[in-house]
Amino acid sequence: MKIFTVLLGVCLVFVFVWERVDMVRVGYQIERLKRDKTVLERQRDELRVKFSSLSASNRIAKLATEKLGMSLPQQGQVIMVQSRPSVTPSADVAPAGVRVARNYLPSRSD
Amino acid sequence: MADSGSRLRRYALLLVLLAGFGLVMFRLVTLQVLQAEELSARAGRQHEKTVSLEGPRGTIVDRHGKVLAMNMEVPSVFGVPTTLESPAKTARQLSSVLPVKLNELERKLRQDRSFVWLARKLDPEQGRRLDRLSLDGIGVVMEGRRFYPKGPLLAHVLGVAGMDGEGLEGVEYRYESYLRGEKRMMVLQRDALGRTVFPKSLAERSPVSGHQLALTIDEVVQYIAEKELEAAVSQAQAKSGSVVVLDPQSGAVLAMAVSPAFDPNALSALKKGRLQNTAITDAYEPGSTMKAMIAAAAIEEGAMKPTTMVFGEHGRMTIANTVIHDHEKLGWMSFAQVIQKSSNIGAAKTGMALGGQRLYRYLGAFGFGQRTEIDLPGEGVGLVKNPKAWGRRSIASISMGQEIGVTPIQMVSAFAALANEGILMKPYVVSEIRDADGHLLKRVAPQVKRRVISPETARSVTRILEGVVTHGTGTRAAIPGFRVAGKTGTAQQIDLKTHRYSSSRFVTSFVGYVPADNPRLAMIVIIDGPKDKRASGGSLAAPVFSSIGEQVLSYLNVSTDRPVTLAMAMPNF
Repeated sequence: MKIFTVLLGVCLVFVFVWERVDMVRVGYQIERLKRDKTVLERQRDELRVKFSSLSASNRIAKLATEKLGMSLPQQGQVIMVQSRPSVTPSADVAPAGVRVARNYLPSRSD
Repeated sequence: MADSGSRLRRYALLLVLLAGFGLVMFRLVTLQVLQAEELSARAGRQHEKTVSLEGPRGTIVDRHGKVLAMNMEVPSVFGVPTTLESPAKTARQLSSVLPVKLNELERKLRQDRSFVWLARKLDPEQGRRLDRLSLDGIGVVMEGRRFYPKGPLLAHVLGVAGMDGEGLEGVEYRYESYLRGEKRMMVLQRDALGRTVFPKSLAERSPVSGHQLALTIDEVVQYIAEKELEAAVSQAQAKSGSVVVLDPQSGAVLAMAVSPAFDPNALSALKKGRLQNTAITDAYEPGSTMKAMIAAAAIEEGAMKPTTMVFGEHGRMTIANTVIHDHEKLGWMSFAQVIQKSSNIGAAKTGMALGGQRLYRYLGAFGFGQRTEIDLPGEGVGLVKNPKAWGRRSIASISMGQEIGVTPIQMVSAFAALANEGILMKPYVVSEIRDADGHLLKRVAPQVKRRVISPETARSVTRILEGVVTHGTGTRAAIPGFRVAGKTGTAQQIDLKTHRYSSSRFVTSFVGYVPADNPRLAMIVIIDGPKDKRASGGSLAAPVFSSIGEQVLSYLNVSTDRPVTLAMAMPNF
């Protein structure tokens, strides 16, 4: 009985020590993961800022006009009209606005 | 004898053991009880580290979630001069990476100090280049820096955040309490090598970021407004300009552009005074745009009907020993034509028919002389004098848009009330506030201020204002396929030297809404101080209105409300 009690005591001490050591080990692991998380968050934020600045309207307009040779439609070239379906529309389909670029109307001779 | 000797030894051994044990106990009591407080504090200093952490400042996005301002952790570089062997060599190596002059770096590194900032809040790329150098005596800490990824876009509305992350202007200042990240003190455990093991209490949370603000502003509409305004100001060689675009039914601001603009990312290079959002702070004499409000008041009060005939006095009338002129010699005309031809004499007669008290009441009802309460800091009140302080000419002057100061946001809000069947809405720029996890905290609902005029009067004024664009002074504000209602304004400015109206300094403007029968946009365009003395609201501001309006309506997929003739639609074919 005495031996059993001593063994139990020793086991408890081992469990306690093991738990403390493991806690420190997990603590280091958590800190390492936190650092990794911080680095990834910084990368995410950097990419978000980069994406936002690259997708700015003024930059896209500049690239479109200067690099791709595109130009803004002149006044009256883009006209919004209500679509007029050729067949009777189903009840759940609402008429939608359609953008028509004047230059590409099918009736044009070119 | 042997027994007594053995017993003596046992007692001696017991005594030694007891003495030893007593010493240990004494030491234990000394350490654990008597010196407990002091030793515990000393241990704490060695293996605990208290840090002050602040959550990042909240993000600002447009109505579609596009990022307009956000925080990012960036490197700040410091030096420990006392540990450097060769400050000159280190300075040379650093100068290839840091945006600091070589002699300045060397001067800082030669100081007899243990800490000196070398450069703060650098770009991440500069930080990475510095890392590759791995210099002794040079350290890097990460600090939050505010980025405005769209550059100068919307700068006057967003405002700026300072070096320590505090809002200084615009939305950044007005919503500081929401945007600022949570501050928290945190106790961390350190090991023998100084490495952080874990927080003292595992229940401690990291500080929470500031809230995210969603604006009513649409980035594309803002871009269109700024582009067209900048082009017009530049072409007219004007001093400044502003454009405000509202949704007349809600009061939501879709765009607010001010020229000249500035880049909030480069605050150090900023000229003094450029931060001011003149669209809400500065009052100007509105000139003829005020006639729309006078017309609304006169029709509402029954003092005039659109068909009432008014004599134009052939372009010249004397009131209180002052001669009022029209830009052309007008005879008899309908009240609608008074507004469409922008007759000063007709407007003066309308004001006099309305009377001082009623005129003053309607100025207040339309929101002049009081803040619109837009959620931006520094809003101006304008200037509306009390009738007791009016002179004999004041009614006539105010009816022509003189002797009164209004801010652009007041004027466009008043026109938005005409567009909104007579209901004045409160303009606003922030539509939603969310916490860092995206949970909705507050949604701003459109706020009605008051009904100013009846829907019938509003429709009647709208028809008159449509005539301004179809055959009046504002024909260049027309947008193919849409009915536009609006009013031109060309107001002389007071010459501060002579205290009289200047013949060379004036403000041109156009205010209106489109489509006239179901308005989606209310807009004001102001071009201040154009070089050409013959320029007018009709020639300068109206085309800007047309250009912005057409692009924005197309972007918003608003259908045309009337047939478009080919000649109008295809000017270049």
